[in-house]
Amino acid sequence: MKKFDIELWVGLFVLAGIICLGYLSIKLGKMEIVGGEKYEVYAIFSNSGGIKTGSNIVLAGVEVGRVKNITLENYQAKIVLSLHPNVKIQEDAIASVKTKGLVGEKYIEISPGGSEKFIPPGGQIRETQPPVDLEELISKFVFEKI
Amino acid sequence: MLGETCMNLKHLFSRYFLLSLIFLGIAAPGHAGEPIDQLKQTTDKVLAILADPALKAPNKTKERRELILKIVNERFDWEEMARRSLARHWTQRTPEEKREFAQLYKELLERVYMEKVEGYYWNKILYEGESTDGDYGNAKVKIFTAKDQVIHVEYRLLKKGNSWLIYDFSVEGISLVNNYRTQFNDIMVKSSYQELIKKLRAKTTQN
Repeated sequence: MKKFDIELWVGLFVLAGIICLGYLSIKLGKMEIVGGEKYEVYAIFSNSGGIKTGSNIVLAGVEVGRVKNITLENYQAKIVLSLHPNVKIQEDAIASVKTKGLVGEKYIEISPGGSEKFIPPGGQIRETQPPVDLEELISKFVFEKI
Repeated sequence: MLGETCMNLKHLFSRYFLLSLIFLGIAAPGHAGEPIDQLKQTTDKVLAILADPALKAPNKTKERRELILKIVNERFDWEEMARRSLARHWTQRTPEEKREFAQLYKELLERVYMEKVEGYYWNKILYEGESTDGDYGNAKVKIFTAKDQVIHVEYRLLKKGNSWLIYDFSVEGISLVNNYRTQFNDIMVKSSYQELIKKLRAKTTQN
């Protein structure tokens, strides 16, 4: 009986350890097995500019979701966004690729629009802006002055 | 034009007038569906005005500009642009305020950059292509300047009845609506709608 007791406890500890490891892995790996019901929308960008799966989606400076996946469709980047269920995006919202600072990581910023209609799950954010090549832009406009 | 507008914005909007003027326009082979067809019609009309010898005299400047603006205005959906630029603050406006805002917005854009139209040097415009998705349309254009620089412009259009009307355009990937949306939002958040209207009125009455 005693041996069985000890083995039982050892087994329970091992099990607890595995569960903790599993929890840590999930948290660190940013997966969400138990989370809110997110909803997905997609947006087509002419250039995804370094956005990766897991990149942040930001609205008014607040993180509202993450990039779920990116595929190439008709020579453009189709980015699927996984958004927090409470966040509603208007039909004329604009999604742009921005950089943290000048050379930081890329994220998608959503600028809310004025439409009274909202994009349903599975819908599309039509207005998108690819990342801006600052250097190229400056040179063009600097030398444009006549 | 003195004012608080940033220099880069001025350049950005000068393109608006560039785009509405196809001078030695050369059409790209290939796509010529509706949006591009209608864009071309507008620009051809404007070209005709610019080329009209009867309107070249300096004392005809006002008349010429009015004619050009009248044509260009038919290609823009000003209320749509105003709504998208004022964004979430639009729904809180009364119908009268919305009308006033759309009008001021239109005058702002017309006013600030009309002068650049005649003074700008460019070479040609290439219509690269277009796509439509129901009532939404998209046309890409390349402008070649006198210095052989290429400027990429993309028009976003909405079909209303039989007309494709512009509700936004981007120059080198920077959208006019997004740009103004940010500026208007900043003013709305920091002060008030009255303040915004005051600034718009000040700009449009400036001479």
